[in-house]
Amino acid sequence: MGVLKINGKEKQFAEDKMPATIADLLSILGVDSATVVAELDGKIIERNKFGQTPICSGQSIELVRFVPGG
Amino acid sequence: MDKLIIAGREFNSRLLVGTGKFSSSSVMAQAVEASGTEIITVALRRVDITNENDDMLAAIARLSAKPRDRTKYLLLPNTSGARTADEAVRLARLARAATGINWVKLEVTPDPYYLLPDPVETLKAAEILVKEDFVVLPYINADPVLSRRLQDVGTATVMPLGSPIGSNRGLKTRAAIEIIIEQASVPVVVDAGLGLPSHAAEAMEIGADAVLVNTAIATATDPVKMAESFKLAVQAGRTAFLAGAAGKTKHASASSPLTGFLRDQ
Repeated sequence: MGVLKINGKEKQFAEDKMPATIADLLSILGVDSATVVAELDGKIIERNKFGQTPICSGQSIELVRFVPGG
Repeated sequence: MDKLIIAGREFNSRLLVGTGKFSSSSVMAQAVEASGTEIITVALRRVDITNENDDMLAAIARLSAKPRDRTKYLLLPNTSGARTADEAVRLARLARAATGINWVKLEVTPDPYYLLPDPVETLKAAEILVKEDFVVLPYINADPVLSRRLQDVGTATVMPLGSPIGSNRGLKTRAAIEIIIEQASVPVVVDAGLGLPSHAAEAMEIGADAVLVNTAIATATDPVKMAESFKLAVQAGRTAFLAGAAGKTKHASASSPLTGFLRDQ
């Protein structure tokens, strides 16, 4: 079993369901990658690198996006 | 109206509009359109992975990327929610990764009750972000000394508040803003607290280069109409500033001739 900390909360994945890349994770979560910025263990990952950025159990991921604001 | 120039980029509108607090994405989009603005602010927050609701976002995305008119709106991410310089810098970097543009409305507001900006942390964050080639538009209290310090470190504007964010109380800091305008070598954008078009006009009349309005438009009974009235007020205020205000006197000064009255002396 794998564990990822996503936006401050731990989420568990079965061994065969563990996402391999950030793009995989977004697809599992049903989040549109076009509107998201990702930070992996504090490091910003460019959107065009989502598909090539591997993730592994124990890592911390922040997924943020724009919301209305002043 | 003469053009507003921030960091070398020209804008026809001197009204910046925030996208928060609208009742729906469609009202927000219509109000933005009616305001004539070219700069809209957005915030950055964690994705709610348990509750997908992208309506407002999709509307902003559509606004900022109209196929025929891609440059119509400049998306200006803010660092709202940041309580320290480090948090603001982190948000600014994330926003740049998201938009590919390096403009940021820097706000550091540790106190949630008045949302007054922290001057020390704001200056610290501004220095870091300018060095990283950000175009920094800092939200500050109406402090002339801080304004100079910020322009000295290379911010693109200063954005003093008229009164606390969302309070709609108007230009309570007028005297300090007049000093800021007098000393500024960068555009002065009055941000926060402007509740009525007359407040915006007043800021423009005293020489502010632009104003930023959100709550007063978004929470009006008819936000679209209110957006239009702010547009007109900003235009009127700017034109009045360029026209040069007539002087004030304590006593009356007749507008009609004081001779030829229909009475005998």
